[in-house]
Amino acid sequence: MGLLDKLSVWLGRGRAEVTVLVLGLDNSGKSTLLHALRPADARAPAPHHAAPTVGQQQEHFTSGGVSFSAWDVSGAPRHRALWERHYRRAHAVIFVVDSADHLRLVVAREELELLLAHPDMFGRRVPLLVFANKHDAPHALAPMQVAAALGLERITDKPWHICASCALSGAGLADGVAWLARQIRDAHLPHPHT
Amino acid sequence: MSNMTRWLDVEVGTDDIDLNTLPQNLALLDLHNDNEFKLLIGDFGRGEDGPKLKVFKGAMQISDTVLPDLPLGVVGFYISETVPRSVPIVAVAYSSCVYMYRNLKLFYKYYLPSIELSMCEMEVWKQLTNPINHNSDAIKPLIDSLKAIPHETLTQQSQDILTLTPEQRLEYLENNAELPNKNNAEIVCINTLKMHSVDKYSVSCLVIATEDGDVILLEPQTFSQLCQAKICGVKKTPYQMITTGLYSVDYRITIATREKSVCVLKRDWPEGRILFNTDDHIIAIEVITADSSVMVICADHSMACYSKKGKKQWCLTLEHRPVAMTLVPVLHLGVTLTGVALASGHVHLYDGKARRDTVFVRDVVSVMKFGQLGQEEHVLIIITGAGNLMLKILKRTADFSAHAAGVEMSPSALTGQKPWLIPKKSKLFLEQSVRERENAALMHKTFQHELNRLRLLAATTLLEAHKKSDNSVGIGPMESMRLTAEVEGLGPVFRVTLIIENKSKDKAVIGLSILFHVHTVNYKVSNPYIKVPLLSPGGKLKFPTKIEEVFDDNISPDVLFRPVTGQGGERSLIKVLLLKEGKKTPVLAATVQMPPTDPMMLPFDKMQAIAGIEEKEDPNWTNKA
Repeated sequence: MGLLDKLSVWLGRGRAEVTVLVLGLDNSGKSTLLHALRPADARAPAPHHAAPTVGQQQEHFTSGGVSFSAWDVSGAPRHRALWERHYRRAHAVIFVVDSADHLRLVVAREELELLLAHPDMFGRRVPLLVFANKHDAPHALAPMQVAAALGLERITDKPWHICASCALSGAGLADGVAWLARQIRDAHLPHPHT
Repeated sequence: MSNMTRWLDVEVGTDDIDLNTLPQNLALLDLHNDNEFKLLIGDFGRGEDGPKLKVFKGAMQISDTVLPDLPLGVVGFYISETVPRSVPIVAVAYSSCVYMYRNLKLFYKYYLPSIELSMCEMEVWKQLTNPINHNSDAIKPLIDSLKAIPHETLTQQSQDILTLTPEQRLEYLENNAELPNKNNAEIVCINTLKMHSVDKYSVSCLVIATEDGDVILLEPQTFSQLCQAKICGVKKTPYQMITTGLYSVDYRITIATREKSVCVLKRDWPEGRILFNTDDHIIAIEVITADSSVMVICADHSMACYSKKGKKQWCLTLEHRPVAMTLVPVLHLGVTLTGVALASGHVHLYDGKARRDTVFVRDVVSVMKFGQLGQEEHVLIIITGAGNLMLKILKRTADFSAHAAGVEMSPSALTGQKPWLIPKKSKLFLEQSVRERENAALMHKTFQHELNRLRLLAATTLLEAHKKSDNSVGIGPMESMRLTAEVEGLGPVFRVTLIIENKSKDKAVIGLSILFHVHTVNYKVSNPYIKVPLLSPGGKLKFPTKIEEVFDDNISPDVLFRPVTGQGGERSLIKVLLLKEGKKTPVLAATVQMPPTDPMMLPFDKMQAIAGIEEKEDPNWTNKA
């Protein structure tokens, strides 16, 4: 691995963006979460009640030297069939779960299982970051309980990570995204020879 | 696909949920106006626990309100259409009153109108209770005057005293000498009816059915009586009531009664009527909104569907006793299924009469309801006999089509039960069939006779055609020849293209020629005789020929109207003959009907001639011309 290679990777990687899909059921907090991840100067004051996303939106943010291009896809039941359109180009997936919505944890699990079993996703080493969102809400489940309810321990073909978050205050987001950036760097940048 | 479940089970902590309720006491409502539908259950309680109104958010109980009496029905509705939306009202019916709760706080009590005693009955009772009248002579005229009052309007006390013997009456009056109480009607079921719009959050009015068979509609703002009607002419006790339609447009209230009949009450009817009667006691009814057909499950294990006119459409026999029924509308699939819970612990989902899915719940269902809970639109809520709450969410990918359900209709079941659409036998048809049976031999003979005559006619016509060489189809070795003609042009000069075709696969034809047979007065043919060269097998030749229509000097004005009146008759026929060397008769003959010449294309001098005849009185016209 020569110096030139490293240089080209540095230059190339600096400009290239990593596509990350932000998925999750409706009202789980995807848009609010992405809003909180935006750099502070580009951020409009956070709306307290975000309108439901229709179709998809694109957001950009950087973390740990990796520049992300995030696709925020609508989570409404009738739009969930469109998720698979984005699978092919995704380098990473952020799955947002409302940890206070006990009723729909099974629905989130079902959607996650469908996602993992899709031909465009199955067998690919796509890092999966799960946000147990709304952890400040009353009756919210702990991240490990959410992980158990989603059956994350059964995922073997992808690195995954779960962390509690609160999209309104931004708590926990940085940790999760830092993990994601590390995973992407490790996968795409060659390990330095020791 | 059929072994894959279509439902996701929600884990519900079973330890502290012990529900004892009836289907009427379940309501799904956006209670806090946060788009999170809550489940409201009017619980009877068990043992020393009194009745309570329990509110569930998802599978979690979030509140508990003690109720003053056993709830007979819990419904939620909106009373105003303000923006932003106001919170819905929860109405809970008790024995003869309805309590309205807003934010789970009691804010209005509605009492059923008490039935006033008639004046004369009251007058009689005043005298009856008077001790000086307590002897048999004084009572008799009083009792007679009670008898004169219509029996239905009498109070229970008056009805009782009429059934007694004179001695018993005296004893009765001496023991309890008091005026009869006012009668209070008892509520049996309540429901809501949308007022002006089918929108989910639109204003609804309360519909109350009483033990006496009255249906009362309450105004949503003031809770005063909008209208009142009897469910039926004869005495029926309502048991379950389903409302469809809009109050201000048209509505139907379908009522199942305890007397094995289903009644229907419509807008502006002072009295409902019986839609149909069932063989056994009704367990539950549902009304399909699309066509107002009524689904009924009965105690004799039957599930039947009746049209909105009350005609039985089909009937199924269920394997076990049905215990509960709910409609399962799946809008994105465009189907409304009917869920039927059986005593065996199964819940069957039917699309019409075809079973689409089966869910086994390990316990006997006591109450079942399908609707939106929390943010999930398709939740099946089941309360079991043991008091457990079960929640099942319909998968997004669920499919209830016949193929996916793996349903195989056996042909016998298909043909054995489905009624054929056979029109009724008319009198005319019956008479005809009798005639046919009586005169079969004669009819056969007549028919054969006619058939033979037809054959003879066909044969003579064919012979005639051959004699006249008028045949358009060749015979013998020339059978494979075809002659067709195309006419083009507006006139008076037409182009007639003759197409000669040799359909034979292996024989060529030589020595053919075409001859036009035309009356020279009418048409002039540029080339009336064409020699046809050798025609190879499968070959085709075209011969374009010019034919001009000839007009004599005293032309009839009729030619101007030929395109309107039709063809020019006999005179526009042209005969084309196909000849073969060495044969005396033509091989083929084709008759071509020439189209009339367009009047605009007539030669100018001829036109003038016609115009001259027609417009003699107008000398200016000829001068100018």
